[in-house]
Amino acid sequence: MATAEEIYARMQTSIQEYDDAAAVAAAKEAVAAGLDPVEAVEKGFAGAIRELGEAFDRMEIFLPQLVMAADAMKAGMAVLEEAMATSGGTLEKKGLVVLGTVEGDIHDIGKTVVGAMLQANGYDVHDLGVDVPSTRFIQTAQDLNAHIIALSALLSTTMLYQRDVVELLRNKGLADKYFVIIGGAPVTQQWADEIGADAYALHAVQAVSVLNERQAEWKR
Amino acid sequence: MNLKEVVKRAETGPLMEANDFLMKRVATSVIKLQKEYSIKWDGKTLVNLDDDLADRCWAAGKELLLQTGVYSMNSRRVIEFSSEEVEQALRFAPSRIPVGQGKEATTVYHRQVEDPRPPFVFGGPFNADVHESMFVKLNEAFAQERLIDCLLFPGYLKELDGLMIRPGSGLSSRAAVLYGQWAREAVRRAGRPGMAICGHAVMALNEIACTSEEWGLRQSDPRAMVLISELQVDDVTMSRTVYYQDYGCPIYMAFTPLVGGYGGGPDGTAIIAAASFIAAIMMGGEIVHIGPQHIKYKQQTNNHSLFLGSLANQAVARNSHIIATTSHTTAGRPGSDQYPYEFSALALAVVPSGSNLTGPRPAEPLGFNDVSPLMARLFAEVGQAAARLTCEQAAPIVEALYQKYKDRLTFEEAPQGQPFEALYDLDTLTPTQEHQALYEEVKAELVRLGVPLT
Repeated sequence: MATAEEIYARMQTSIQEYDDAAAVAAAKEAVAAGLDPVEAVEKGFAGAIRELGEAFDRMEIFLPQLVMAADAMKAGMAVLEEAMATSGGTLEKKGLVVLGTVEGDIHDIGKTVVGAMLQANGYDVHDLGVDVPSTRFIQTAQDLNAHIIALSALLSTTMLYQRDVVELLRNKGLADKYFVIIGGAPVTQQWADEIGADAYALHAVQAVSVLNERQAEWKR
Repeated sequence: MNLKEVVKRAETGPLMEANDFLMKRVATSVIKLQKEYSIKWDGKTLVNLDDDLADRCWAAGKELLLQTGVYSMNSRRVIEFSSEEVEQALRFAPSRIPVGQGKEATTVYHRQVEDPRPPFVFGGPFNADVHESMFVKLNEAFAQERLIDCLLFPGYLKELDGLMIRPGSGLSSRAAVLYGQWAREAVRRAGRPGMAICGHAVMALNEIACTSEEWGLRQSDPRAMVLISELQVDDVTMSRTVYYQDYGCPIYMAFTPLVGGYGGGPDGTAIIAAASFIAAIMMGGEIVHIGPQHIKYKQQTNNHSLFLGSLANQAVARNSHIIATTSHTTAGRPGSDQYPYEFSALALAVVPSGSNLTGPRPAEPLGFNDVSPLMARLFAEVGQAAARLTCEQAAPIVEALYQKYKDRLTFEEAPQGQPFEALYDLDTLTPTQEHQALYEEVKAELVRLGVPLT
């Protein structure tokens, strides 16, 4: 039987090679060997995906590789989560993010980059896609018991739907329940302040650092 | 192949999820084609000097389009093309398009690599957010610049009567009507009533409400459509294309390949750019605009985008007669010297590579009226000068200019500049002394660097 170190190495390689089948196999091996799932995540998957996130920031790898690595990690994590559930525990994740591009806006890539970077940094991301009605963000956040709602808008004419989500949350008395972060080409800190969003990020890397830094606020 | 067939295929092509299209068709094919055609950036070159690389990029781009097709985001179906259809479309693509009316009637044309003819200049607010109170004055100030051939995107009316405009709303239809009326009024005031206006009023189908032969945008005015990255199209764009084509307007089709995205680096993204130029023609485009985006930077003057712009334009200019133009967005803003240094670098990279000119404008996020007509004049002058240079002559100047701003490429680092109303005397519509002095100073520096400005 493989040692723990060998299994962790296989888990790392599966992420580095963007191989979801290998990630699932390595995670199953970890479970079969009776390794602690929390430790397996940290020593197997987490370090490797963080390194890829940094490589993406340095433009040594690109969006397809980052997405494939995030998918591989998701597949492997599902195995470890199932094992934890069977033993009556849960695998704690950093935070659950409901992400999407607002209504009337069909731009996908910026939002996808943010989603992949968040996943690479340990967040659980539920991507609603593009042209998402304001009410759907809120309904999904409620259904999934999310911590964070992340709203992307690429057009100065669709930014106003970011305002609508924040306003709807206020009207429903849910403003304190979810941490709202906004971004997109025309979006500014000034706009975030004006509409009462909790945070603004200029780009994907900043979205990760803002959420990491303000964990105490969104874990309220 | 005509638009009738394209819209039909948007309803009948293979059904798939967007993510599968982007990952399995686009990203996978680019990686394969990049190896097969040896498309590799050396990490240093800003202006491509390798003709064979440009030809390989074109061949890879054509093959990419045949492998991917164009994804219809609403129907989730792929509009696929055969090799014969692509070849035929390229053969019949226009190399000249008349725009404008009366004394302002002019022609946009295909340029070749190192073509000595001056580039056609699309200049104007370029979809910067323009406040309703400044809309006519700002566009008049652009239209009075005689080197601008076509008034470009007179500006987004983000608000009307103090309210933000929701796409598709009654308010946005009103905004589209006013956009047409005010843009026409602006060119009339500038003494150029027939000047072509390249229009893109609001981001919804009711954009067509700006159309009127009497008071708005006319049949002789190009209408802009934007394909979504990468190789995707939405129903609104298709619908507008169908309407404007039947109405008789020249179709200005833009695409925005993303460096660091599904094409990888600038080399792989250049293959997507070549494919997108052809896709734009297949989708009814007649004037094709490349506006490279970047995963890290918001402007188009970084080293990756300079190389991508020069390579993709050369690929198109050497192998087709597509009318190409390149978008210029910057990190520096009007009122700073970085703004003209950035747009000059890109213009010097793409004009000898066969492109016409579109711009300039700072990258988003923007405040209201963050553009300068005087700087658009300098942009056109640099474009004319660039047409007198070979790629080899332009390359060291581009490098020298790039060195001036390369450490201030992000929004936070770049100079913030000033809006139009701070740079111009609004009564006389002339630049302030300070803004004029900046123009003279930058122009002298460009001459010193070897730009043959007259």
